[in-house]
Amino acid sequence: MNQTGILFFPAFDWSLGEAHPEREERLLYTQEQLFEEGVLDLPQIKQYFPGIAPLHDVLRTQALFPEPETEALEAHLIAAGSAITLGEARVRGEIRNGFVLVRPPGHHAGATVWGNRGFCTLNHEAIMINRLRAHFGIKKIAIVDTDVHHGDGTQDIFYHDPNILFISLHQDGRTLYPGTGFVHEKGGPNAWNQTLNIPLPPGTGDEGYHYVLEEWVLPRIQAFAPELIINSAGQDNHFTDPLASMNLTAKGYGRITELLQPDLAVLEGGYSIEGALPYVNLAILLALAGEEFQQVREPQPQTQTPLTLSSFKHYLKTLRQEHERVTPHWPIEKKPFLPMGNWISLPHSVYYDTEGFQETRHDTIRQCSHCGGTVLIETRRLREQQKHYLVRIPFQSCPDCLQAGFDLWEYLTKKAERVLLQDQFHDKVYFWHNHKGVRPF
Amino acid sequence: MSQRIGIDVGGTFTDAILIRKNRIQRHAKVPTQTEDILATILNALDALSIRDENAIDHITVSTTLITNAILQNRLPHVELFLFPGRGMALDALPWPVPYHTLTGEMDYRGREIHPPNKAEWKNLHALVQQNPSALYAIVGKFSHRNPLHEVTLANELRQRYSALRLAMGHEWGQANFYRRSLTTYLNFAGFDMYHSFAQHLQQAITARKIQAPISILKADGGVLPLTKIRPIDSIYSGPAASVLAPLTDMAPGMSAIVVDIGGTTTDIGLILSGVPLLSAKGAKIGPYSTLVRSLAVRSLLLGGDSATFASDEGFELKNYRLGPAYCLGGQVSTPTDAMRYLGLIDYGSAQRAEEALVRLLPPEERTPSSLRKLAYAIVESLVDQIAESITSLKNEWLEEPAYKVWEVLHPHEAHAFHIRLSGGPAQGIAQALEKRLATPVECSSYSEVANAIGAAMARPTFDCTLHLDTTRNYYHVEETGEQGKWTGAKRPYHEVLAFLNQLAEMQAEKVGIKLRDPEIEPFDFFPVVRGYETVGQIIRGAMHMRPGVIGRLKR
Repeated sequence: MNQTGILFFPAFDWSLGEAHPEREERLLYTQEQLFEEGVLDLPQIKQYFPGIAPLHDVLRTQALFPEPETEALEAHLIAAGSAITLGEARVRGEIRNGFVLVRPPGHHAGATVWGNRGFCTLNHEAIMINRLRAHFGIKKIAIVDTDVHHGDGTQDIFYHDPNILFISLHQDGRTLYPGTGFVHEKGGPNAWNQTLNIPLPPGTGDEGYHYVLEEWVLPRIQAFAPELIINSAGQDNHFTDPLASMNLTAKGYGRITELLQPDLAVLEGGYSIEGALPYVNLAILLALAGEEFQQVREPQPQTQTPLTLSSFKHYLKTLRQEHERVTPHWPIEKKPFLPMGNWISLPHSVYYDTEGFQETRHDTIRQCSHCGGTVLIETRRLREQQKHYLVRIPFQSCPDCLQAGFDLWEYLTKKAERVLLQDQFHDKVYFWHNHKGVRPF
Repeated sequence: MSQRIGIDVGGTFTDAILIRKNRIQRHAKVPTQTEDILATILNALDALSIRDENAIDHITVSTTLITNAILQNRLPHVELFLFPGRGMALDALPWPVPYHTLTGEMDYRGREIHPPNKAEWKNLHALVQQNPSALYAIVGKFSHRNPLHEVTLANELRQRYSALRLAMGHEWGQANFYRRSLTTYLNFAGFDMYHSFAQHLQQAITARKIQAPISILKADGGVLPLTKIRPIDSIYSGPAASVLAPLTDMAPGMSAIVVDIGGTTTDIGLILSGVPLLSAKGAKIGPYSTLVRSLAVRSLLLGGDSATFASDEGFELKNYRLGPAYCLGGQVSTPTDAMRYLGLIDYGSAQRAEEALVRLLPPEERTPSSLRKLAYAIVESLVDQIAESITSLKNEWLEEPAYKVWEVLHPHEAHAFHIRLSGGPAQGIAQALEKRLATPVECSSYSEVANAIGAAMARPTFDCTLHLDTTRNYYHVEETGEQGKWTGAKRPYHEVLAFLNQLAEMQAEKVGIKLRDPEIEPFDFFPVVRGYETVGQIIRGAMHMRPGVIGRLKR
């Protein structure tokens, strides 16, 4: 099993709009580069055909509102299906690792979806991860998000999940979209410290990035001992990226891959389609395949000098101290319909930049020392009256949380207009609509 | 009077066939002299004892000339100069031939990243000076997007050595630097051998007073005139012929799995709605990966004469032949003996077939029921391996990479397949194969000369793939490596189709074929956006004439 899988799906006939960064051209030059290099002729590389994710797999992980079928999902379903194809190949032992090199990206898409945000509608990694848990009994998975933007969607989906370790390295949210991912975001009441955000200063560079991986990220992964490591491999840390300023090189990306040794790398963002993508994608694929990537170099010279390692070390030291000082605060929710137990209330809002609207969320989590805890999410598109609900019964749910989930579902289907039940324990998904009744997915 | 001749040079025998008005008039079989393919072809032709030379209007030859020369390492050496640029390490892939590397780099849109270092070229002069009559090939990474470095070096060398023989990689216009290098190498290495063959063949045919044009069968199942074909395209024409042959007696638009079982090898191909499946990747021959378009064929080293020995598991089928089957006077047991014993075939001695099976069993087990069981097991083992190859070929087809949403949403339709079985031992496995794959099997009526029929009836194939970059004002044709300036609109629409038509017409004329109902692939348009502005387009489109046959044979 020394094969490296590649699922290359550049969606050459799909874009988010004329002249949009997420357009047909995005992976065109990557294709030219990979094909011309003959990477697919390497004996250890195995190419896979894209799949289409069934709606059941999507809804197990994400609640689509107002209707499960409303979004124009085709390209997104193929991206998610492709992640599943390669994920399953990995778990079946057909490949040692793999690269899901697909458009569109997914890591800004969260537990509830009202539309496209940060170019993402479906979260491929999360959908794939939960599929592997449901079908193959995988328990512990680590996600390392190396996109320059905070992987807020993935964090949102797994924030209460003690069996997922989510680590995001990104340019500081004070200077970049989506403006989240600070050290105090460390996970929900049942999954405290299972989310690790490492905001990095502009100009970090290869050396600093590798340093933080070796000093902080890798030891944390090792302590968690996951069965699988998934890398959300965004490519916008590259020094040619038009929006961010992290100053990494293609070779630097190769080294990140070599350090993380992910079971799967999944392409996220990265819109320097000529200066970075062909080279970064090549370096990542070569690193996964165990080939030398030192000679992969982008044509453009790096003009800005990265931060010195000593000043970066100083930054990181302060950040870690700050991280350690954060202590949890769990405001208790008391509403009569909530079943027995302690329910923690976490309200927040989510901005959808593609169409420019706000989602108001109120998450309520059943505190539990036996399992991930039942999650209730109330969601409303701002300026709309109707509140919709997501009830999630976790994988390996304890009997109390299971009962609590069903009680909530029963209560809400009498009261609310739309409710999605994610019964991850039984791998069942139901959608309630007060005019249409209950529909299984 | 519409008479066609097809000649197929095989490993053991060479077959010739004469077809008149879609009816087989005569066929002949002569032993192949591996050292003298030309003489073999002429023997086969003479064995047809043609009476009316003027009535013949076409001759097609499927020859192993270049295939054998490559596999037996009989081609001359070519000095290979590479501009590999940076990127994947060169030695990540196995290079079966030595090369010299030079500085100079292009990017994926043909923009120069690093100019060549002319100081390095001085060493090349020394090398060329030592051996000015050798063959030289120059290949650059991304030269199919911009041949500047190849052309500059070639010009410089030619200025000094006007008679220097040079080939350049950009003439193979498809992506893949590694394959382009090896394809350029092999094609050039085979150049003299092929052209001398072509010349002698033409002379010999003319000497026989035959005026008909001669075509050569290619790996993709198409034919091209003798003098127009690129030598390397003639490899694997035998398997291509065996996939074409069933088309001559199949209803149009049908789908079939083609199984051609011989003594030593079994070739398996796929016909989808009347069109043979092409391999998604270029052909691999010996240690060389090439850009040669070929039909998707699985060649199993197993057949009716595969040597069969007793083993701990009962018996073992070897991937070689040790002469004919025991029942036909050979020395070793073979699947043919099992077929004969079971009465599935009617040739060979029944008594010797039994002896062949008896030899595989320990004395105490030599009962009629054990013999029957063993015979079935041998046939089934052969069929199992054929079935596995069929599955793998079907998967190759079903799992062809897809790069567009449309392709994923419209996967291949289900085809109602039947199996077309040909070759000597075909009858012997027909039943077992039908049962194993639950697919109807039809045996071909002209089993023994199927390949010659395929060659005789093959029609030309044609591909013209356009890559147009209106931002950089250039276009390029994959099949010929032709590159030129684009003077049209930045965002053209209908004029691209007219342009492709015009290129295709020119290309077809150059290789001496007529475009008949070419199939046009939908164009892909990539808006090229810089900043927030669309500055042009990259456009891809293609025109094809798929492999097929000129008509159906009448019985």
